[in-house]
Amino acid sequence: MSALEFINVSKNFGGVQALEGFGLALAQGELVTLLGPSGCGKTTALRIAAGFETSDSGSIVVNSTDIAARPAHQRHMGMVFQSYSLFPHLNVRDNVSFGLRVRGIHSDERRKRAEEMLDLVRLSDLGHRMPHQISGGQQQRVALARALATEPHVLLLDEPLSALDAKIRVEVRDEIRRLNRDLGVTTLFVTHDQDEAMSISDRICVMNNGVIEQVGSPRDVYNNPSSSFVAHFVGSINTLHKGNTRILIRPENLVLTTHDENAQWRGVITDITFVGAFTKISLRLENDDTPISVLAISAQIDNSITIGLNIGINEAAQ
Amino acid sequence: MKRVGKAWPYIFIALAIIFFIAPLLSMARFAFQRIPVISLGKNNLFKKWTADGLLVTLRDPEFKHSLSVSLKVAFFTVIVLLLMMIPTTLLVHLSTPRWRGLVETVTILPYVVPPIALVVGVSGTYRSIAPWFLASNYSLVPFYAILAMPFTFRSLDVGIKALDLRTLVDAARSLGSSSLRVMWNVLLPNLRTSIVNATFLTITVVLGEFTIASLLLKRTLPMYMAQEQGREPQGALGLGLLILVLTTLLFTLVGMMRRKNSASNVPQQINSGMVP
Amino acid sequence: MRTPLQRFRIPTRFRPVGLLPFFSFVALFLLWPAVSLFRLALQPTKNSEISAIHEAITGQYLESFIYTIKLSLLTALLGVLFGSLLAASVLRIQRPKWFRHFMTSFTGVAANLGGIPLAFAFIAALGTQGLITKLIDSFGINLADTGFRISNFAGITIVYLYFQIPLMFLIMVPAFDGLRATWAESAASLGAAPWQYWRHIGLPLLTPALLGGFLLLFSNAFSAYATAYALSSGGARLVPVQIRFFLQGNTITGKDNLGYALAAWMIIIMFITMTGYLIIRRRAEKWQQ
Repeated sequence: MSALEFINVSKNFGGVQALEGFGLALAQGELVTLLGPSGCGKTTALRIAAGFETSDSGSIVVNSTDIAARPAHQRHMGMVFQSYSLFPHLNVRDNVSFGLRVRGIHSDERRKRAEEMLDLVRLSDLGHRMPHQISGGQQQRVALARALATEPHVLLLDEPLSALDAKIRVEVRDEIRRLNRDLGVTTLFVTHDQDEAMSISDRICVMNNGVIEQVGSPRDVYNNPSSSFVAHFVGSINTLHKGNTRILIRPENLVLTTHDENAQWRGVITDITFVGAFTKISLRLENDDTPISVLAISAQIDNSITIGLNIGINEAAQ
Repeated sequence: MKRVGKAWPYIFIALAIIFFIAPLLSMARFAFQRIPVISLGKNNLFKKWTADGLLVTLRDPEFKHSLSVSLKVAFFTVIVLLLMMIPTTLLVHLSTPRWRGLVETVTILPYVVPPIALVVGVSGTYRSIAPWFLASNYSLVPFYAILAMPFTFRSLDVGIKALDLRTLVDAARSLGSSSLRVMWNVLLPNLRTSIVNATFLTITVVLGEFTIASLLLKRTLPMYMAQEQGREPQGALGLGLLILVLTTLLFTLVGMMRRKNSASNVPQQINSGMVP
Repeated sequence: MRTPLQRFRIPTRFRPVGLLPFFSFVALFLLWPAVSLFRLALQPTKNSEISAIHEAITGQYLESFIYTIKLSLLTALLGVLFGSLLAASVLRIQRPKWFRHFMTSFTGVAANLGGIPLAFAFIAALGTQGLITKLIDSFGINLADTGFRISNFAGITIVYLYFQIPLMFLIMVPAFDGLRATWAESAASLGAAPWQYWRHIGLPLLTPALLGGFLLLFSNAFSAYATAYALSSGGARLVPVQIRFFLQGNTITGKDNLGYALAAWMIIIMFITMTGYLIIRRRAEKWQQ
């Protein structure tokens, strides 16, 4: 039995098909990411699950019950937005316990539960602060605590990291992953950032133009992309020709060679970017001017590799 | 049930529009139709419409005089206000930021003193000390400048805040401009929207102000209208309508300009001080 | 602190000198007349033992104040109610896009539409010879028989609403806009029914705008003069119109100090109202950034 299942969901916004026959099942405790460019329908799917949009057709099933007709406030989903959206007139503790308050739970118990949740996101000292007095990363962790306080069936996250600084982003990302594992809460995560999706997900659902391109583990999606779109959107990829066939090769699966006269391709180095353990080398192929890139281990690059060098390129041995 | 929920905004807006339009339509009918209300019926609803009343009023030399008084007072009020408020606002942003709070509070003071109280105070003080001052039509200028001060300051304040003044001045400096030239070539053009905005609002305030003019017995446009109501009611109402239409156009113009390069969504015509 | 005008090389403690023209202007044309009112009001009037400022809150003058405050409270309350409803209604309507701009421009005009033209318009509509009066009459209801006059309490209330509703509309549109959609959605996903959202989130967040708007509308009605004057040709019981009577009739009554005292009391009431308004605004600014 899946914790959340989309069955053949379609949605049309004034002539634009936002979702088409969307079907996806999340197992209990699983973290699934909807990944795709803006306008691919990922947010629409999330909002339909939350009850903020109604689908034109199809069903949303939670614990064997179709909830497609239920209003948002009866769905018991935890939602976190990109813009934090804490209630600005309530302090952190009252924000966290808001879901319990509308359920009519006694104030002593609310307080206790709020403290527990704040402990969980390691913000127990900030309960009395107002939202505008804490940082963006802290606000987003409070939003997580608020969404989890009512023990929702599913946690829905709509680009929760996009408004944060790079360093804080990684912190909150790891926090989300930890909460998902520790609490076993089924989580649907929406993002356009493939690195984010790769590092956090049990499974990734790559979407484009309202349809699912591929669903699979991060490793699966990266190594065995089912379409050219997935290959290009998840990680970077080179398009090369081997005889008359066009092949797609990841930059790290190419090696440079200075002495192999029979290298599969030859090109001129146009740029060298050092990124720590790896070095990215950009080239232009000799015969058809196609730009490609090769990712090499920095330790293997010596001073003889310079811009303007004509060099051989081979497919790495698998 | 759901249908009622969807319809109520439309119903409410329709009622509101009737409430706002009906007096204006009644006014237009009275001004431009030569039939007494008593004998008005379905058969003569569209008969005897004429602008004669308004034309008589517009040709009245007294009207022309009152218009010229109002326009002159408006002109000098704008000049006095801008000469006083532009340097003051720039100064509190650039040079004496600690005084900004006090200046802002002082610009709100005119709201605390209603025009009727102000004019009573004025006649209690200036009448005995400087009667020659109150005898002149231009004695209205400083008091109208006081009435227009709150929104003039706000308009300039918002405009300057949106500019990132410091960077602008520093950039001009690094290119070798002197302080006065910075003021003239960089700041004023960038504040054009704020200045035009404040100017238009000031003009509407001066052209509509009745309380102070009436108690100081000045023959301004609103005073003329109030008197004309007794002599030539059709002309007076037609004139009122004409001024309304012109004000609406002015406001629409200001609104369009503000939307084009707006620093804030807060409608600045709130409390222009012209109210009533 | 370094400031860009450093090039002027004016010592810091002399810099505020530049603000002198502004402060002198306000002192000369606003503060001096306003403060003098209180000085003049403290003197007793002719044939009276008590000071004018005391006499101004007794008998018929007290009644005038009560009448004016009642009118201001009522028009402020109705203005808050209808202005907010109108703002909510207009914001509900997404299409056509120009409609909202049109309403904002129109209310901008109407909110500032006071004085003589407004009084004219309502006399033409609801006066004894008014078009609407005639229209209602054709349905068999005689407006005059119901006790309605354009110059009595009910009449002035309706006329004042013509500028009070638009003013509230202009205050509430940004306030409603400030309510983020994600707050409503967060509340819903946390289990709040729509009424619970309004009870716990929406209304508390709108309270500063509603309260501030109420005070602004109150002061707006309280200080209005021209409309009331033109509606009833000086016969109304409103304080501002009474003040005029003393100012012009001072040679007859010898009670011109009473005019100053009434004006002084108006300033006191306005001061309290505007202080309340500023406190509310300061508080709201804290979490509205």
